[in-house]
Amino acid sequence: MTDDRFEERMREAARDYHRPPATPREEMWTAIEAGRRRRAAPRIFVLRPAWRWGLSMAAVLLVGVAIGLRLRPETPSGVSASRRETRSDLAYGVAAVQYLNRTETLLTGFRADARAGRVDTLFIDQARELLTSTRLLMQCPAGQDPHLRPLLEDLELVLAQIALLPGGRRDTLDVDLITQGMDQQSVLTRLRTAIPAGPASAPRTQGAL
Amino acid sequence: MDEHELIARVRAGEPAAERALYDAHVDRVYRLAYRLAGDDELARDFTQETFIRAFARLDTFRGDARFSTWLHAITTSVSLNGLRKTKRFRSQAPLEAADSVASTTRSAEPDLKVRLHAAIDALPDRYRTVVVMHDVEGYTHEEIAETLGMEVGTSKAQLSRARAKLRESLADFAGEWAS
Repeated sequence: MTDDRFEERMREAARDYHRPPATPREEMWTAIEAGRRRRAAPRIFVLRPAWRWGLSMAAVLLVGVAIGLRLRPETPSGVSASRRETRSDLAYGVAAVQYLNRTETLLTGFRADARAGRVDTLFIDQARELLTSTRLLMQCPAGQDPHLRPLLEDLELVLAQIALLPGGRRDTLDVDLITQGMDQQSVLTRLRTAIPAGPASAPRTQGAL
Repeated sequence: MDEHELIARVRAGEPAAERALYDAHVDRVYRLAYRLAGDDELARDFTQETFIRAFARLDTFRGDARFSTWLHAITTSVSLNGLRKTKRFRSQAPLEAADSVASTTRSAEPDLKVRLHAAIDALPDRYRTVVVMHDVEGYTHEEIAETLGMEVGTSKAQLSRARAKLRESLADFAGEWAS
């Protein structure tokens, strides 16, 4: 068989590759208009009790990261540099542990709900909020930790998928895909391993990072 | 009405012009998204996201390239990023495994098209995109280069490598194809 002959046959057969159906023009236009309105509208948040708790945790995370960044020594030298490093590590550690605890709570609840065939909208809202925290944490030195980094990357993906679930009708396949992905990557197991043991009210940072 | 005028009217906030611009391009955008995704739901999501982004960023379109090229660049970017995220959560066989699927014996998989499609699926993203755009959707190398932000020569080289890979995967069908 000549090259030309092969390529001709290949192009012929390739035309059927993922052959698209008729364009669902009207349905997509409706979705585009709704999407643009949603993104353009100013976001008004009503603070539910669970959100207040969530926001306060996020604030702690932000403060922790900010302290960590501020205390990060540029040129460590001697005892004072070492002290600054310790304080910086502690700030990152506290922020990271609180973030990991919240994420673990969310994902455990989400998976339980998914198995029961329902997903509370609250999980979607919290996932959006935690996604911001995840990205923030990935930007700071704690996010560069070789043990924590792959976990954060997987969490970012899981949280993004939950955050993107539609508000009204939820496709079971989408939810199944998320839980399957969590199981395949052992996300919850790794997350729980990363959280140091001890009472939640007094998180120990040692071993978290 | 020519496209420049239409775009100017969209920028001025005319809803009818937005719809006209959408109608003029949606078929090719959806086709490209579907060819890359192979799934209706994903293709719809990618198409919708493409237009939402395009309308939001229309001010950044300077008119150096054709509008369709600019739009298809957004389409490929949205689709490939979306697929990467989706694929990470699907139990995908690695490329080597896909190769072995594509080169099983003829009796196991008699359909050449199915074998070819599996082999295309197994190509790395950058090669698959060039094959889809050139061999499936009929884009020229110049259009592909502009859309994907690469040199024309790179587009040609990637297509050539992709075809070589496909030929290798389908080597046991050489006789069949020649007949």
